[in-house]
Amino acid sequence: MLHLIKYRFICTLRDRTSMFWAMAFPLILGTLFFFAFSNIGKDSLDTIPVAVVKETDSEAANVFCNFLKEVEKSDSGITKVEELSEEKAISELKENKIQGIFYAKDVPTLAVGSAGMEESILESLLDSYNRNAEMMGKIAAERPEGIAAAAETMADAQNLVEETTIDGKEVNGYLQYFLALIAMACLYGCFLGFTTAIELQANLSNLAIRRSITPTHRLKMVFVDLLVTFAVHFVNLMVLLAYLIFVLKLDIGSHIAETILVCAVGGLIGVALGIFVGSCGSGKEAAKIGVMLAVSMVCSFFAGLMMHQIKDLIEKNVPILNRINPAALISDALYSINVYYNPQRYIRDVTILLIMAAALGIGAFLMVRRERYDSI
Amino acid sequence: MIKIENLVKRYGELVALDHLNLEIEEGEIFGLLGPNGSGKTTAISCVLALLKYDKGTIEVFGKPMAPDNYEAKKQIGVVLQNVAVFDEMNVRENIDYFCGLYVAEKEKRKVLVEEAISFVGLEDYTKMKPKQLSGGLLRRLNIACGIAHQPKLIIMDEPTVAVDPQSRNKILEGIMELNRKGATIIYTSHYMEEVEQICSRIAIIDHGRCIAQGTKEELKSMIKTGEKITIEGVLLDGENLTDIRNLPHVFEEDYEQQLLTVRCSGAKHNLVRILNYLQDKDIAFGRVFSELPTLNDVFLEITGKELRD
Repeated sequence: MLHLIKYRFICTLRDRTSMFWAMAFPLILGTLFFFAFSNIGKDSLDTIPVAVVKETDSEAANVFCNFLKEVEKSDSGITKVEELSEEKAISELKENKIQGIFYAKDVPTLAVGSAGMEESILESLLDSYNRNAEMMGKIAAERPEGIAAAAETMADAQNLVEETTIDGKEVNGYLQYFLALIAMACLYGCFLGFTTAIELQANLSNLAIRRSITPTHRLKMVFVDLLVTFAVHFVNLMVLLAYLIFVLKLDIGSHIAETILVCAVGGLIGVALGIFVGSCGSGKEAAKIGVMLAVSMVCSFFAGLMMHQIKDLIEKNVPILNRINPAALISDALYSINVYYNPQRYIRDVTILLIMAAALGIGAFLMVRRERYDSI
Repeated sequence: MIKIENLVKRYGELVALDHLNLEIEEGEIFGLLGPNGSGKTTAISCVLALLKYDKGTIEVFGKPMAPDNYEAKKQIGVVLQNVAVFDEMNVRENIDYFCGLYVAEKEKRKVLVEEAISFVGLEDYTKMKPKQLSGGLLRRLNIACGIAHQPKLIIMDEPTVAVDPQSRNKILEGIMELNRKGATIIYTSHYMEEVEQICSRIAIIDHGRCIAQGTKEELKSMIKTGEKITIEGVLLDGENLTDIRNLPHVFEEDYEQQLLTVRCSGAKHNLVRILNYLQDKDIAFGRVFSELPTLNDVFLEITGKELRD
């Protein structure tokens, strides 16, 4: 057994083509993403230009204006506020010079020109303020002794914005690209699985013929090959994860165990996909590689690898596609646990991934365990 | 050692093996001779329990051959027609890997691997990868991977295809050496010279059927051509040709452009009789050739076509 494992590791690790696609390519792509998109999130989130229009000179309106100034001065510097007349503010909104208009009055309101991430943040900011203002009113009426503590909480506008919306993480498309990249890397395990299938099936290669006629038990050989291939790919994914976190300093999230679980299941799907495609029929290798590449790239594309909005578009229009696309499920599981902290959604995604992995794994196993063939 | 009875294998409409019967005895080098596509490799694949077949039985070491007949598999070594080694591993690693699929004990395996390397003469190439080896050396590695565990039965499927003459001789010498050490060998080829050179018994296969089987001598005795005599630069008339045709054991003569070709059945002194006749008639002649029948003649006479058709 150790003999088989040792040489399987040697062969897999020295297989330059498969290792390039399964390990090196995602690292290269990750680096390119880093240099190409690293400013996207920062530019769009650091400053959101916004106008404030004072409708009344009431105390509540002044408090709200002060609140906005505090937010602007805070470390996060999410907004850049300018006090304008209503007419001027509307004009600038139409020209996209500002993302929204806050109306300072007894109950402040917000007007935005379109729907997007910046607008959502402004909305979130206003909601937080209104909730807190309402709470302050209640506290003042019911428990006046707690008003000082409440005011202190209210002043900490930056924390309110961050904690209520994004679990301490930046919400940006930049991260989605990297999550889709991890999904793609998981699926690229198909290249390792494909080689394994070719070297196991006697109707596909001479090497497999030679291995099939030895006295080594078939299931033992299949088990070792699958195990080692999966182990190597899992390590590949961990290397990618470590590279993104420690070298590119990407804030993927704090739920590392859950992230690793998704990578493991995703990697299993990738390897099983490769074995399954590789074992299907005795067609040309190049054609099978083409199929595998097409499947993994299309899935990754729909998961937002090239355009992060695509996954949301599919979710709005054809949600079932996101439920059956393993790359979309992988990136969604990672996003839902690390950004939204939505365990229900994470569990749903992982469950579907596990079902997929089991189905593909069983199919792949049934294909490669054959001992006799109709033709060679 | 191997008994094949009424083996039938069909690929759709094509009958690849048509009631093939073979029996291979311990200690022999058994040649499977036949043109490309005659069914040699298919027969070998069935014996190795790789291919499903439609009918018939195969016994190896006295037991039915099946994929889970691991006891039999332990004693079989196979050298495939196409080189089957890992490109990612060097020569020693490849031999060690395949030997390890048969021999679990590490120390024993180490000795066997060294012996195999020495046997095929790859001592200077142990750290090289297959892609760095020449065609001949690659074939030798292929052989070493198949025989390192020192099996009792070695099946060699056209191991000399696309090999230079020097490597071919080395391979053939190696096969005879393995046989001398006690291995039974099944050797498939469409090169009749090789089969004739090393095999103690031969089966000729065509269209999936065994059309003749026996020792070289037995096979050659099956056909009427025993000797082919060619005489150059000879002037003959019709009467001379009739006389020659009437000589004992002559069954066919051909005369064209002063070249006389005479086919005789297997008997002694055919050449002497013809030359005596020419001297008696005072007929001058040039160079004289006498050829004994080859396996190709056997194949030609039995099937009506050349072995390499």
